[in-house]
Amino acid sequence: MALIAPAPRLRRGFRFSADPAPLGALAALVCILPILALVALAATGGGDTLRHLAETRLLAYLRNSAALAILVAIGVSLLGVPTAWLTARYRFPGRGVFVWALALPLAAPTYVLAYAWASLVNAGGPLYGLLPPLRGVAGAAFIFSIALYPYVYLLARQAFEGGAAHALDAARTLGAGPWRAFWRVGLPLARPALAAGMALAIMETLADYGAVEYLGAPTFTTGIVRAWISLGDPAGAARLAVILLLATLLALGVERRARGAGRVADPRGRARPQERQPLAPHFAVLAVAGCAAPILIGLLIPAARLIWLAMETPPVRPVLPAFLNTAGLSLAAALIAAALGLGAATAALSGGKLARAAARLAQLGYAIPGAVAAIGVLALLGGLQRVLDASLAGFAPLVAGGGLVALVFAYQSRFAAAAIGPSESALLRVTPSLEAAARTLGETRMGVLRRVHLPLAAGGVATAALIVFVEVMKELPATMILRPLDFETLAVVAHNYAADERLGQAARPSLLLIALGLPAMIAVSRLVSGGRKSPAR
Amino acid sequence: MRTLFRLSVLTLSAALLAACGGESGGDAQEVILYTARHYDSDELINRRFEEETGIAVRSISADSDLLIERIRADGARSPADVVMTVDAGRLYRAEQAGLFQPVQSDILDSRIPASLRHPDGLWFGFSRRARVFVYAKDRVQPGELGGYETLADPALRGRVCVRSSGVIYNISLLAALIDRWGPDRAQDWADGVVANFARIPSGADMDQILAVRAGECDVALVNHYYFARLIASDPTITDTVAIHWPEAGGGVHVNISGAGVAAGAPHPEAAVRYLEFLASDEAQRMVAETNGEYPVEADVEYDNPIIAEFGTFEADPLNVSVLGENQAEAQRMFDRAGWP
Repeated sequence: MALIAPAPRLRRGFRFSADPAPLGALAALVCILPILALVALAATGGGDTLRHLAETRLLAYLRNSAALAILVAIGVSLLGVPTAWLTARYRFPGRGVFVWALALPLAAPTYVLAYAWASLVNAGGPLYGLLPPLRGVAGAAFIFSIALYPYVYLLARQAFEGGAAHALDAARTLGAGPWRAFWRVGLPLARPALAAGMALAIMETLADYGAVEYLGAPTFTTGIVRAWISLGDPAGAARLAVILLLATLLALGVERRARGAGRVADPRGRARPQERQPLAPHFAVLAVAGCAAPILIGLLIPAARLIWLAMETPPVRPVLPAFLNTAGLSLAAALIAAALGLGAATAALSGGKLARAAARLAQLGYAIPGAVAAIGVLALLGGLQRVLDASLAGFAPLVAGGGLVALVFAYQSRFAAAAIGPSESALLRVTPSLEAAARTLGETRMGVLRRVHLPLAAGGVATAALIVFVEVMKELPATMILRPLDFETLAVVAHNYAADERLGQAARPSLLLIALGLPAMIAVSRLVSGGRKSPAR
Repeated sequence: MRTLFRLSVLTLSAALLAACGGESGGDAQEVILYTARHYDSDELINRRFEEETGIAVRSISADSDLLIERIRADGARSPADVVMTVDAGRLYRAEQAGLFQPVQSDILDSRIPASLRHPDGLWFGFSRRARVFVYAKDRVQPGELGGYETLADPALRGRVCVRSSGVIYNISLLAALIDRWGPDRAQDWADGVVANFARIPSGADMDQILAVRAGECDVALVNHYYFARLIASDPTITDTVAIHWPEAGGGVHVNISGAGVAAGAPHPEAAVRYLEFLASDEAQRMVAETNGEYPVEADVEYDNPIIAEFGTFEADPLNVSVLGENQAEAQRMFDRAGWP
């Protein structure tokens, strides 16, 4: 994978003497610390909880987890791939809007979608009896599919518009019909993107607690949270979380291997302006309907329900402070994540084994249930405090517990996957020859990074920052427990009201949350297809 | 682009320095509240306390277990003065973790019944919530419902709606039944209820009541104030759904919302004054009037016609600390019964 060979240092730049690669590796290592704290916690407990679970609910949890993973994989592919194919390859009315609008459901938190849909179709809702009730594994799979398909859509569209475009054109020139071109060329070329998108969606599904608890589809994560909350065994919960982590690691490894083996052609082919084919009218109608449906069910209908509820319910507390807190916090976390993701991606591509391993492991934060990840951060900071207190006595700074810095740290640790991935794939576009040419022309290593890598990778880094922005905005457990006193965020306010079954009061902060995420998702969608500046070879 | 890069390097260094943060203790005229209650009524009570005493209330609200973990991780450096949770089981857990300090207050001891507080004054209950049945008036005969054992009665096969077993209200109920009946009978009860499920447990308390009205099931197990709240938003629900007090055979299961003074509280006097304010007539009345919970002080007068309509009931005299002691066993029983 080391596409960028470490070159000998010729001349050091003065403006930035710090090489981002070791710094990035270090940052990635810091991100892993909460996971290590969890592993340490897991080592302290006995096996009682695990034994009890194995004798009772484990099979049901695993069955639900597996069923949910499979159904969500199918759901996000069915929603994400055809829409990506249509918007990337064809011209039809509304395409310009669909291109970015299809990414928007990612702006809505999963639990908000679950509450909104449930309040529509379940007992007491206006659509009760017209549609099947929302509950169980099927209901949860529906919610996760509509909430998470944009991952697949964005990555698949990038693949169809990017490297796959020539191969597809070639296939069409050689006489392949549109269906044949899709199945034989487009889909195989988009496979890595599809796998990456599905992996993100499945990881998020399996780490979720709120929606599966509410909808009655308990998964392995339910077992983890109950081991901690009901059985009072944090060590047992940490142990289960580590098992989930190892399973994820294994699955990701298999996915990476499959991706490597299945490489049919160089996916980094040169991109050029697309010649989109017009669709015949009856197909255009189908295309419009097919692209409108996911936006309707994933965003417009639940948002309309929330607006309706918000109008019925007079507001009790102002939401502006929570809105500003959320925006500021998410922005800070996103900027740091962009820097960190770029550093870690550079480290992963050009650094040694340790740097690469650190960058890979840092991505695991995504697969841990949020509440458990928050415990890891708390345990880490508590341990650090004890060490500081022991060595510095009265002069030790206060690091334990919450605070904005602790919170931002927790976000980095949890969403490193979202930050590193896009930066890494963007950096992959910088070919070794390009770097070698710049070096030959006398540019320093830092100069190359600044003047070659960064402009080419800017789109990817910005995508990473925006995705982290949206994720942080929606994040709940770590925010809830690590935030400072008297500091509300939209997600916390929405959750507190929803948990108390006051959906009407929860509607306003939920809508603001979506409103905050919309511009970010629109920008992501634009960047993914627009920001493809490709270097000449 | 260059500035963006510089900014990135700067922010990255900031992230690496992430260790230095946190909050200081603050001045004497405040009380720091760590609460698992996030009701608007609590907000009103805090503002009233500030007006009355001049002591500012600063708070952080989070789910009980997260709060407990945070205070535990903070250790001796925790700024918390008062820890408040919504379930006796959680108070017990906080107590076991050594998060409380004993409080000696004649006001608290005289106003709060002994069964609703810790014997050494580690924590005190401030509101009561009853776990009751609601039933469909047209499909359930008055004689069909008795105590909690009714839910496991084969006559109710396929007619019962409940929430999942992870919800603390159900865990605390079974914890109380373990004390009342012993483990074997409690396990049989859980098995029997599972056999009576009308559908897989899902949704929250209000969803169970709405399911009864919609005809998905005939009987549901819920906290009383959710029914009160539904009536407030839609009075016609009482045409089809009614409340039943499962008091036969030991009394209605009552849980509490409670608080105690944190072990390392920087402002212990202010903390005790806050607790005493929570026990005052005024605060007790606000809890009953705005949130539909029952006061812990029996003589408090309040104006909540919906709750008054429910009538009086005989409560289980069990000391609520038992709920915490039996909590883990209750979850294990639910797991064995296959109650999702």
